[in-house]
Amino acid sequence: MKKAIILLILFSFLFGKVTVVTSTTDLADIVKQVGGDRVMVTSIARGNQDPHYVEILPSYMMKVRKADIYFMVGLELDLWAQYIIDGSRNRKLEVVDCSVEINKMEVPIGKVDASMGDIHQFGNPHYWLDPENGKLIARIITRKLSALDVEGQEYYNNKLADFEQRVDLALEKWESQFSNLVGKKIIFYHNSWPYFAARFGLKTVDFLEPKPGITPSPSKLNQIIQLIKSNDIELIASETYFSDRVPKFIATKTSVKTVMLAQSVGALDGVVSYFDLFETNLRILSKAYGLEND
Amino acid sequence: MDKQIVGGLLLTAFLFGQTTINPDFSVIGDLIIDQSEDEIGLSSAGIEMVIQGYVNPFARADVYIHKHNDESALELEEAVITIERGLPLGLGLRAGKFRPDIGKINKDHAHLFPFIQAPKSMANILGEEFWSPTGLEGSILLPLPWYTKLSIGYFDEGFGGHKHMLNDKSNEDDDYQGKDEEEGLSNGVLSGRWSHFIDLNDVTHLEVGASGYSGDEKSLLGADLKFKWRPDKYRSLTIQGEVFQLNENREAHENDLNSQYDEENDKVKIIGYTFINYQFNKAWNMGLIGDFSTFDISDDEEDKYVDKSNYNFALFFGYSPVEESSVLRIRIAPDGDDINLMAQLIWSLGPHKPHRY
Repeated sequence: MKKAIILLILFSFLFGKVTVVTSTTDLADIVKQVGGDRVMVTSIARGNQDPHYVEILPSYMMKVRKADIYFMVGLELDLWAQYIIDGSRNRKLEVVDCSVEINKMEVPIGKVDASMGDIHQFGNPHYWLDPENGKLIARIITRKLSALDVEGQEYYNNKLADFEQRVDLALEKWESQFSNLVGKKIIFYHNSWPYFAARFGLKTVDFLEPKPGITPSPSKLNQIIQLIKSNDIELIASETYFSDRVPKFIATKTSVKTVMLAQSVGALDGVVSYFDLFETNLRILSKAYGLEND
Repeated sequence: MDKQIVGGLLLTAFLFGQTTINPDFSVIGDLIIDQSEDEIGLSSAGIEMVIQGYVNPFARADVYIHKHNDESALELEEAVITIERGLPLGLGLRAGKFRPDIGKINKDHAHLFPFIQAPKSMANILGEEFWSPTGLEGSILLPLPWYTKLSIGYFDEGFGGHKHMLNDKSNEDDDYQGKDEEEGLSNGVLSGRWSHFIDLNDVTHLEVGASGYSGDEKSLLGADLKFKWRPDKYRSLTIQGEVFQLNENREAHENDLNSQYDEENDKVKIIGYTFINYQFNKAWNMGLIGDFSTFDISDDEEDKYVDKSNYNFALFFGYSPVEESSVLRIRIAPDGDDINLMAQLIWSLGPHKPHRY
């Protein structure tokens, strides 16, 4: 009898959870933060992977096949998710776009076409790189989890309140501790950072990519080298999925420093949570600028 | 064939007519430069137009129209409705004109290959543009811990009959039209594939499949394998191959399409190919492809029954400067005592790009 009860508890523990799949590790971590023990979550893209291009593997369809909810980034970042969702043949799956309540940046005006590069017609999709947007994402996730797991509604709401409070405290600390980053000029490899730069006051001067998604050309590199020399730009930052060959080449021609920033949870060692993402990136930037807040 | 095009477009209009949202429309074109025996030729494998979109919350439609070269007519390559959402038990359904799930390479359109030309032996068996009949195919994702899919389809015609239709002759040349119709005569064929996809680790994957086919004149058994390692955005290694054993009733094929299947008259053909493709940075890849057959694959119809082993090899290189929107491919292959050099420039307009595994 005792064994049967233990088995029953174990069964309900393992199978009573809401199963969630997300497009990225950032969304997965926020699901963990607000879902706690009541959810099982897995991400399709790895943290060090370019979220624009994810190969559509049948094994991803198997992950989604068992899921209750799929949280996607939206804004045309994870267009590949649609093929995975279709291929999963999961009839009960609910798909949630986490971008719906975000105040989008860089929404193009007028006609958008491929001559502009890999531009996102509904706005820049890297919105999770602002902690304030993390709170909006968490609210959407909480609403969906609560709707599906009504018994856990209070639990999710409490976890959300705790998450929002921790974000507020962390943000207050980061804005104070790294206030000397405000106004610092920076060149990014790809335009992944407008939300991050706006939140922490960095001044984005240019990008290594001549247009989004387009490999840096020799003429663009020359232009960047001149720009660095004439404007005393100290830093080039790139995502971990890009080769460091181009930034290092520019560094040999100028006095610029190069760093890799974590574009997502898991992109760099030690970045295991949504909070680590900001803490690590801000420390890397601060150290590279010689501001030393350690 | 014109009727097929009109039919395909009408199907598209009907399917998408119930929504105010336009489907995705894409065009893929190319230019081929072929150098052999001091001669340089310019040609094109043609233009492919693709219309894709969701018909409703459960079904998707894909229409592919292909114009092979200046002299060929527009051909309807695929017009298929796919239902993957909403069916119970992991079932899926495809209906219309499409490439059945048999082997690995048959489902891929040419612009998805890392090489320029399809393996000659496979094209000889499956047809120049591979096998794309009209029919119905059901599939099920089996309830196993890994991805495993079983597909079974019923189609109106067997493979190997596809020839490009010439522009001006499509409605006038009775002989040609008669040949096309004759090749379409069939009591229907069955085909199927059982495939397994296994993650060896986060970045290494293995796919294996077994295929079968049964028609009046031919039966086939096949096995395919694909191994892929992609540690990061800049590097990947793909090894893919498949082998078919084709049992062909020669007498029935040549003399009487309605005759009974006679094992004594069977002709067994073995064909296969394998390629290795290594992407060594963001833009560049290179590889080697080889294919073989146990019979002569010259264009002469009679020679197809001559037992003669054939081997073909080619080196290929690819350069994708701007993601997948334009690709330059180069092929170097022995051509008798000479070397054949071929280059292909592919461009794509619109959202249809090679992303699928």
